[in-house]
Amino acid sequence: MTNPYLPLPVTIDKITIENDAKDLKTFRLRFEREEDAAAFQYECGQFAMLSVAGAGESPIGIASSPLDEGYIEFTVKRYPTGVVTTVLHNLVEGATMGVRGPYGNAYPLAEMEGKNIVIVSGGFAFTTLRSTIRYLLHESQRSRFNNITAIYGARSPGELLYKDELAAWEAQDGIEMVITVDKGDEGWSGREGFVPTVLQEVAPSAEDAYVLVCGPPIMLKFTMPPLIELGFPPERIITSLERKMTCGIGKCGRCNVGSYYVCKDGPVFTYAQLQEIPEAVL
Amino acid sequence: MKRGKIDKTDLRKLLAAASEKARCAGPVADRVGVKLEELTADSVLALDYDNFRLSPKLWFFPRSEVIASGSNGTLEATPLPEEATVLFGLRPCDAASLELLDKIFLDEAYLDPYYKARRENTTIITLACNDPDPACFCTSVGGGPGASSGADVVAFDLGSELLFEAVTEKGEAFLAEHDGLLTAPSNADDTAKEKLIADAEAKLQPVTIDGVADKLAGLFDAPVWETIGERCVGCGTCTYLCPTCHCFGLYDEEADGNVKRIRAQDACMFPLFTLEASGHNPRSTQGARARQRVMHKFSYTVSNVGETFCVGCGRCVSHCPVNIDIREILEEVGA
Repeated sequence: MTNPYLPLPVTIDKITIENDAKDLKTFRLRFEREEDAAAFQYECGQFAMLSVAGAGESPIGIASSPLDEGYIEFTVKRYPTGVVTTVLHNLVEGATMGVRGPYGNAYPLAEMEGKNIVIVSGGFAFTTLRSTIRYLLHESQRSRFNNITAIYGARSPGELLYKDELAAWEAQDGIEMVITVDKGDEGWSGREGFVPTVLQEVAPSAEDAYVLVCGPPIMLKFTMPPLIELGFPPERIITSLERKMTCGIGKCGRCNVGSYYVCKDGPVFTYAQLQEIPEAVL
Repeated sequence: MKRGKIDKTDLRKLLAAASEKARCAGPVADRVGVKLEELTADSVLALDYDNFRLSPKLWFFPRSEVIASGSNGTLEATPLPEEATVLFGLRPCDAASLELLDKIFLDEAYLDPYYKARRENTTIITLACNDPDPACFCTSVGGGPGASSGADVVAFDLGSELLFEAVTEKGEAFLAEHDGLLTAPSNADDTAKEKLIADAEAKLQPVTIDGVADKLAGLFDAPVWETIGERCVGCGTCTYLCPTCHCFGLYDEEADGNVKRIRAQDACMFPLFTLEASGHNPRSTQGARARQRVMHKFSYTVSNVGETFCVGCGRCVSHCPVNIDIREILEEVGA
């Protein structure tokens, strides 16, 4: 019998500091056993429990694409009160840690085939959408989908994640990237403004389109009305919920909202679903 | 199914025989009540009790247990418990609670291996209730003082004798193994049993919970929750004593480089239960937490697994330090 609580050993191959505040790091992990790597099959939007023995576990969205071979990536924000994330940020390349998962449901990419895709994201919630963009832009996948537009905002230019990738995406035709910061600095010549406002300015067409939205609760709250105004039906507004989690497998009770467990029945929900769950109302 | 009677003076003999193959636990008095305790040669059985102060879920889902341990960054899973166990004297409500916990921990998508091993290794002999406590309301939530759900064998207290009735194959095997100590029950014994159960049922005060699940769905924002929240001290006693509450946390402890990953019972009554590292707490008031417990038991689990997660044992009613009574809440929301 497999033990669902036992993390699988991984080696940290690479650590990338993502932002000026140095509290966002991307960890590239490699499974130490080949059979674990083969068994860890995931989809865009899923998460895993990252385990540091002695500190505990944290649920973190998977930032790499399912088509990335030989590694998985997670971008982790360190909070001063975050026991696990603080210890995790102190680990060095070559260290061993643990992963269990993948957990949760995924973005409904099969359902979105042939459609226009709009991605709206703010802050470090961008990680699972980075996974999604990498996947959608992969040469084996891009032709399955129609136009792709991504709006991504951060507090300041230095807080933008995956800067090299953003530049590469901006330079290519497969995706229309709209990058915004709440407030620019001297070197910033790009857009300024909060994500919901920029969304209204860009006004992506809702026709034959799905929108994936991920961000802090306050951004989600102010992003839903403009999306509805643009004509996106609530069933085609796909978002992701966050809750404190322990088990990741729908037992420990922590992430229960209504009759759902965010870890097992989510984290991906449609806005139509969220409107039916009083405790999850945005 | 197999049946048989035993004189109460021989019960100790039966359990001693069972102890040769399995650890046996039964009702033993302590300074404040009766608890379900592993029996030794010196144990004195206490057969006159309302119920154990603590729920027997502890035998399957302990207060805390080390599920993995290790050093140098890697963890090895704790081997599964293999010890055969006989639990004697569970009340029917508590036995029924195990069938509810099975819906969570034996869910096929993610089996909990520790819970599963303990369930498989354990034989459960319930003792039907002749004299329910005033806080009991099992018949209002689908149970009864002589109900057999979750039991392998049900015992009925006929006075100087116990009448055993096997419910499962496991129970059948248990009675067959101890056949030498049993005598055949008579028709008079059955009549006596029926009367005891009927009398016990008559002592219970029914609570109206019909339609509560549907009504709760529309009462998420009702003022009743904050009213309860103002009284609730958030001690979590109701959840720890509840035989069906199953929330838990996983914690690491480290000493001298050795790490233990511990699974420990936790409670939705505590603000830390849902507090995120960012500082955001989706359940920031005691009223919201009290609502969660009632909603989870009487609405969410009904939607998810088709069961009300309450067996009417009355522990939360008897032990709440501020006299919050789940029966009153149910009657208020059901009205």
